Amino acid sequence: MNFKKTLKVAVVICLALIIAIIPLLSGGCAGGADSGNKVKVGFSICYTGVAAEKGRPMGNAKLDCMKYINEELGGVAGHQIEVIWRDNQYDAAKATTIINELISKGCLFFTTNSSKMMGASMEVANRAEFAGFTVFSAPALTHPPQHIYGQMPDYGDDWAAFARYYLENIWQGTGKAKMALHLLNNPTGYGARDAAQALADELGIEIVSIDEHTATTISEIESLTRIKALNPDILYISSTPQPTSIIIKNAVELGMYPDITIACGHASFTSVLVDLAGTNAEGVYGVFPTVNWGDNVPAMAKMTEYCQKYHPEDYGNMDYITSWAEGLIVAEILRLAIENVGVDNLTPQAAEEYGFKKLDNFDVGGLHGPVSYTPGDNRLSKSNRVFQIQGGAIVPISDWVEAPLIKYEDFEWFGK
Amino acid sequence: MDELLQFAITGVTVGMVYSLIALGFVLIWKSSGVANLALGQLVLLSSWFTYGMLVQAGLPLWLGFPLVILFSLALGWMIERFILRPLIAQPILSLITVTLGVAYFIEGAVSFIWPKSVAALPRIFPQEVVRIGTAVVSQEYLWAAAISLVLFILLSLYFKYNKMGVVMRATADDQLAIQACGIPVTKIFSRSWMLACMLAAIGGILMSSIGGITFGLAETGLKAFSVVILGGLDSFLGAILAGPIIGLAESLGGGYLTPLTWPGIREVIPFIIIIIVMFVKPYGLFGEPRIERI
Amino acid sequence: MNVDLPAGTRNYSYAKDMAIFRTRAHWALLLSLLVFVFTAPLYWGNYWLGVANLIGITIVAATGLNILTGYCGQLSIGHAGFIAVGAYTSAVLTNRFEWPFLVGLIAAGLVAGLIGLVFGIPSMRVKGFYLAISTIAAQFIIIWVINHWTGVTGGFTGIRVPPASIGGITFVSQASQFYLIMAITALTVFFAKNLARTRVGRAFVAIRDNDLAAEVMGINLFRYKFMAFFVGCFLAGIAGSLLAHWTGFMNAENFTFMDSILYIGMIIIGGSGTAVGPIFGVISIRMLQQGVMFISPMLEGSFLDLPAGFTTGIGPMVFGLVIVLFLILEPRGLAHRWALFRTSYRLWPFSY
Repeated sequence: MNFKKTLKVAVVICLALIIAIIPLLSGGCAGGADSGNKVKVGFSICYTGVAAEKGRPMGNAKLDCMKYINEELGGVAGHQIEVIWRDNQYDAAKATTIINELISKGCLFFTTNSSKMMGASMEVANRAEFAGFTVFSAPALTHPPQHIYGQMPDYGDDWAAFARYYLENIWQGTGKAKMALHLLNNPTGYGARDAAQALADELGIEIVSIDEHTATTISEIESLTRIKALNPDILYISSTPQPTSIIIKNAVELGMYPDITIACGHASFTSVLVDLAGTNAEGVYGVFPTVNWGDNVPAMAKMTEYCQKYHPEDYGNMDYITSWAEGLIVAEILRLAIENVGVDNLTPQAAEEYGFKKLDNFDVGGLHGPVSYTPGDNRLSKSNRVFQIQGGAIVPISDWVEAPLIKYEDFEWFGK
Repeated sequence: MDELLQFAITGVTVGMVYSLIALGFVLIWKSSGVANLALGQLVLLSSWFTYGMLVQAGLPLWLGFPLVILFSLALGWMIERFILRPLIAQPILSLITVTLGVAYFIEGAVSFIWPKSVAALPRIFPQEVVRIGTAVVSQEYLWAAAISLVLFILLSLYFKYNKMGVVMRATADDQLAIQACGIPVTKIFSRSWMLACMLAAIGGILMSSIGGITFGLAETGLKAFSVVILGGLDSFLGAILAGPIIGLAESLGGGYLTPLTWPGIREVIPFIIIIIVMFVKPYGLFGEPRIERI
Repeated sequence: MNVDLPAGTRNYSYAKDMAIFRTRAHWALLLSLLVFVFTAPLYWGNYWLGVANLIGITIVAATGLNILTGYCGQLSIGHAGFIAVGAYTSAVLTNRFEWPFLVGLIAAGLVAGLIGLVFGIPSMRVKGFYLAISTIAAQFIIIWVINHWTGVTGGFTGIRVPPASIGGITFVSQASQFYLIMAITALTVFFAKNLARTRVGRAFVAIRDNDLAAEVMGINLFRYKFMAFFVGCFLAGIAGSLLAHWTGFMNAENFTFMDSILYIGMIIIGGSGTAVGPIFGVISIRMLQQGVMFISPMLEGSFLDLPAGFTTGIGPMVFGLVIVLFLILEPRGLAHRWALFRTSYRLWPFSY
């Protein structure tokens, strides 16, 4: 009995010690290593948690891309990139501690993938003048522009791009086109609402209803029944793949689709959507800022090779492409900064001033539109393309279109 | 009028899916008084396991499903044997918290074994919709509703007539007394966890055939909470009736109130109803009132 | 109380008997702790200060929950919702109306406390897990309102929160926020420790152990249950306000249901119904979370060719496993182990 008790005490103490020591140890490992010839960047990735569906392929892609740059290209300008990455588990409190860590570990800048995670990191970063960019962003992150950048056009730009495409190529009626919005209940969904609120009148589109759904919805028959009664021409969904597939499926069941046009923002428009929605998704439009798998662009070969080698399960996922491009941009920013100020003078401020702000028509191997910095507009790439699901594949149906800057901060309703 | 019918049918069928998940929760509560916070994660794990059997291993349905059920029984046994048994007779909140640990563990294990983030199960049910009057409903929901009804009837009969069922009820009432009668309480717990995991597996198969497998499944446990509280934590009848009530409230409330208020009202309506119900019937619609003694 | 005293110590007056710091060792420990805390920014980096800030904020919140659930026995699974109320009250007041931080802080506590009272009303009729649903409802309704009351809260767009400032001093760096947060945390813990020893605290415990018996003894259930809800949610609001100014940008997505459950986990692992419980619980859970974040990058760096899911899965698995092991080995919480340790230290070398 006594022995058992001692054992118990010992185990409890051990556990407590392990907890206390893990961070210390790894802190020592990462910080202690000689990093003279290396340049550091930080990645805060939602590898696990509720957003893992998107976070994981993206995390895999950017780490693979870093591997490619370090091993095959010998780093940037002869310097290896040291990546400090953390799994933020889509948890805001963790994201905030991670950003503090990245700042204190001497990273030059950071990236993350979602609006929520950037929201939790950005004020700390802004206050420290520590630049960073996020792959998927809602308008609130880059308006007003500070030290946070968006890799791609935001969810609002998707809406604007589709609305313009629709009016030019599909709309045949007279008067105003009627559009119903179906939004995920977070910034991903409401980014589209912001753009609709800012531009709908001007473009000649009437927003007949705004509905929202959760990420875990199992039936949207109810909301679609109401939408059907309003007789819209377009149903625009800004969400992630799984709820989108449910909405599309229910729309088919209610007999709404394919009579109306359904379009999606880029957060849901990936091969996963086709997997989940099957034949129902045939003919659905979507806006996406990157090329598709198998397209003939310079970066495709290497990316496919690495994806097949390290993460074959992500092949066909567009999120992998986006984040591979993210990796290339990271390298380009570092290259610019090193060439402009020299590796010894690199600071986060220098990386922003001579890296981010010097980006000029950088071609990310053709994976998405060219990347440039324009003062006052913190979106790095500004081009979108409209796609359609045809025969189970995602097919581009428009050229790259430039998404003009929307000055959200000038509107009264846009939060401070 | 057409709309009303559509809302009502949608509400009831979706609600039956909630009921299915809720039954597993009630089962554990009924025999051990533990609130199982890992419910959603069990659903997630068994969905992925189904995916592993049907898609990765390519087994036919008639072989795949029994294997999934077997797996879930084994899972339930293991959870009880290695995690809950050492905690028998400890404060009940510790038992509840330990299921939280189980939840995280399962979530990690799922990412560990299935690095894919989303997957679709092969279509198990026919895709044609069924028309009831002017309303449509897809067959998956009807199947789910039928299956939860059958499970409910089986469970109720089991608890009423089988000796083990009676013993389970007694255990929930007074663990000490039942142990004094020479009945092994551990066996009862083990049995109820196995059954509960099986229910979660069936729920998982149905849910993921409707919407595919994503991490979102882990949050389905949440809907089950509101269902069981409304129905009464220890009542199968409550769970099977409260599901459609919650479903109806969501559907009708969403249908008629959204234009009047903000979007998304559908998600909070069940909670508002529950708060109101609690004032009238504090132990849920069918829960057993506790007689208080000093 | 006297059992806890070290051998050879006697108290000769009531005041002495009741003092929190009674022996020289106590004072020495307190002093060294204070010295340690207030010099910490000198040798801790930005990151560790950030973690310490998060821990401090969480301790304030968990202490509130401990008063409500640990002492008074009213199970609340909506704590993150009340924290959100505090965070947004403070954010709206300091951003939109540009009121001073201190006003925002107090208002955050008061508003969260009042909202807590509203959702505490069902506690008059129900208890245990049935009451928990009312607090779960609180969580969802609060978040829904915050997300849609765009005119005030900014809705899904989120709201920026200026850094905290008191009388011209602005708390921007992690080090300066560290002092602010630690001061408030210390005050909270001291307040909670004292509350537990007053008439109110004893009434709470009586209600937790058997509310019917408590009522028969003349304890006004209505009053004390409400008081517990108010105090618990007040502290949640204070924590929310600190969190808002620490993060700098608020989005209602930051307050998830999982967080609410985790707060319960923290006080259980620490030891509910004890003053030190929340501190132990919060420190171990938060440190574990931080530790888990390092595991996969570290393993990835040291071993090549790990299976694809390894890096992603190992974190939550270890986290869950440690929680399970903690509870199996010490179901009464770390505070219980601490008490045993303290007693054996005091009686040493005479163990019986």
